[in-house]
Amino acid sequence: MTAFRSDGHVPLRDYAVIGDGRSAALIAADGSVDWLGLPDLDSPSVFAAVLDPARGGRFVLEPEEPFTAARRYLPGTNVLETTFTTGRGSVRVTDSLTLEGDGTLGPMRELQRRLDGVAGTVPLRWSVQPRFGYGARRARITRRAGVPVVVAGGDALAVCTWDAGEPVCADRAISGRLELARGRRALVAMPFAHQEPLVLPTRSECDTRMEHTVAAWRGWTREHAYEGMWRDAVLRSALALKLLIFAPSGAIAAAVTSSLPEQVGGERNWDYRFSWVRDSVFTLDALLRLGCPAEADAYFWWLMHATQLTHPRLRVLYRLDGGGHAPERTLPLEGYQGSRPVRTGNAAGAQVQLDTYGELLQTGWLYAGAAGRLDGDLARRLAELADFVCAAWRRPDSGIWEVRSEPLHFTHSKMMCWVALDRAIDLSERGLIQDRGSARWRLARTQVRDFVETRCFSSRRRCYTRSAGSSELDAAVLLGLLHGYAPPGDPRMRATVDAVGRELRHGPFVDRYSGEDGLGGTEGAFLACSFWLAECLALTGRLDEAVALMDDLVGLANDVGLYGEEIDPDTGAFLGNLPQGLSHLALINAACAIGSAAGEAVG
Amino acid sequence: MSAWGTAAGGFVATLVLTTVLRAASEFKLTRADLPFLLGTALTANRARAKAIGYLLHFVSGEVFAFVYYAVFLAIGHAGWWLGALFGLVHGLFAGTALVNILLPLVHPRMGSPLTSAPKVALLEPPGFLMLNYGPSTPLVTVVAHIGYGAIVGGFASLGPHG
Repeated sequence: MTAFRSDGHVPLRDYAVIGDGRSAALIAADGSVDWLGLPDLDSPSVFAAVLDPARGGRFVLEPEEPFTAARRYLPGTNVLETTFTTGRGSVRVTDSLTLEGDGTLGPMRELQRRLDGVAGTVPLRWSVQPRFGYGARRARITRRAGVPVVVAGGDALAVCTWDAGEPVCADRAISGRLELARGRRALVAMPFAHQEPLVLPTRSECDTRMEHTVAAWRGWTREHAYEGMWRDAVLRSALALKLLIFAPSGAIAAAVTSSLPEQVGGERNWDYRFSWVRDSVFTLDALLRLGCPAEADAYFWWLMHATQLTHPRLRVLYRLDGGGHAPERTLPLEGYQGSRPVRTGNAAGAQVQLDTYGELLQTGWLYAGAAGRLDGDLARRLAELADFVCAAWRRPDSGIWEVRSEPLHFTHSKMMCWVALDRAIDLSERGLIQDRGSARWRLARTQVRDFVETRCFSSRRRCYTRSAGSSELDAAVLLGLLHGYAPPGDPRMRATVDAVGRELRHGPFVDRYSGEDGLGGTEGAFLACSFWLAECLALTGRLDEAVALMDDLVGLANDVGLYGEEIDPDTGAFLGNLPQGLSHLALINAACAIGSAAGEAVG
Repeated sequence: MSAWGTAAGGFVATLVLTTVLRAASEFKLTRADLPFLLGTALTANRARAKAIGYLLHFVSGEVFAFVYYAVFLAIGHAGWWLGALFGLVHGLFAGTALVNILLPLVHPRMGSPLTSAPKVALLEPPGFLMLNYGPSTPLVTVVAHIGYGAIVGGFASLGPHG
């Protein structure tokens, strides 16, 4: 990589992510940490240059002369290694948000940036420019025991350096310069504290913690070995997914970032640092397929706990701490390449999305299948959800894509209502939930299917449409096949898979839907839809086509194997928040499903 | 003041406290379930955790009642209102330090601010004033603890010194 910034921004494709299960940082290919919320993933940012190079704050670390960069993750870890090469030599930078150590007193959070001289001598500069509270909170830079410390209210971070040049404290930055020769090492550590005293580590403690971090990630990866097709992509997706799991609660964030645009310069900029019920079934499915029962258990417990206050109604999304209130606000930031507004919170949380009931019941059904039983309280609540669907399925809703236009009778939503009732009936028949109304559930299930088959299927187009009476298409309808509304041999579903492939697909890219959504501008192709299509092709017997599409899709990842939400089909540029959990979940599930289909075909 | 009165008060007060919290949960005012939180410290089986948790909760209720009793003895006075005041302090302590800070650090299945990947927490931490368990949780918890304290104080003040 040689071309980096223009007007302070790098292409979204040039970002890698590191994390510790509590927060996560985006690091650009030029070595700048451009996004980091502390202390948690959904906390206000300390670095947000990706959204505003002038006001957002960042942590620069780069050669002082022209350079190229090559990156990789240390195998089996979420520790990033960047090698800068200049005309005079090369250096390696290893970046990590370190994990809890061996029980010795360590910082609450810690970003470590280690430098190793590889060849020749390279002059480097670094500069820590923290801007607390999305750039709005004033900070004070002082020195404690000779160490530069930045304080803002209850937050404090230190900049500890070893052989990295004398730190210079200016008005709003702590900076240094050094020359790193072959075989020499340097370290810049940034411990952080929130409402507690800062812990200033020693160099040996930092070394030990970094070694522990690498070993812990490798240990986790070893436990979740995957040997199927697209092995590397699946394992990287699993590691990316693990970064989105908020370890203190088990919740899974949809993405690390907020307000990265679906169209550069457009208004489709959303905060994705929440957990969507919509993603629950993909999440549990992927965790179970990857052999992560502990994470699956924690996630399902969290999901049932989080939904308790609104039960039997579901919020569309929940905060990582389990709360359901996420009011949307606009921040006075410039936005990625001028894409405004920059938002925190997400108004979609208050929408009605009937599909979520299907997804939660399908999740409960998967969980019950894996665990072999359901706790009485959870069983009662799943039964009450089915009761609620009986009463609510006739309503229009905002659908899985959270359109901001008038609610409609979305086909996918109705299909998922059918799935909700079908799963409840199945659980009841197996004695896993109380039979408190399965006759009513059966009647409603029949009514929902009648509605879908008569109102949501176009005889003229010979496929399921986006909504009742519409002639538009929606890739989400593919989920009817993936979640069991119709079997793979169903002619209507097969025709719908064909129609999506014919009309929404462009090469490996698939658009979400055709028609209006109440927002201005356009968006890129939605990656999860491409993976869903690949999975559907395999399920409907077109294995070669599915494998070819997956090969293309795996090739669309960035240099370190990550995906955003969308891709611009014309330029290949990433769009939307990243790394996007749904894209990685869809990759894992598609790879596993296609692998199974291939195994069956061979056998 | 009476030790037997305190013991009886501790039992009745815990009964009331538990009932208030359970009712608040059914009315969707809070996701807090103190017996469940205590029980899951010993087992991941939800049904067993609730049974063990209720037992532990009653034991804790008695322990706290006798802590109240010790303070009543030290200051030479006990009563409903003084107990209610202790309950207020107890409720605030529970929400700010006991359940928010101390419990996550010793609870093997609860996440704390230090929990990191690749560890997995089964229970989300309650947060400051247990606000993670719902915006009404602080109010419900403090009111329930005021009731607990008032009952313990009232019962402790009955009868002769024990």
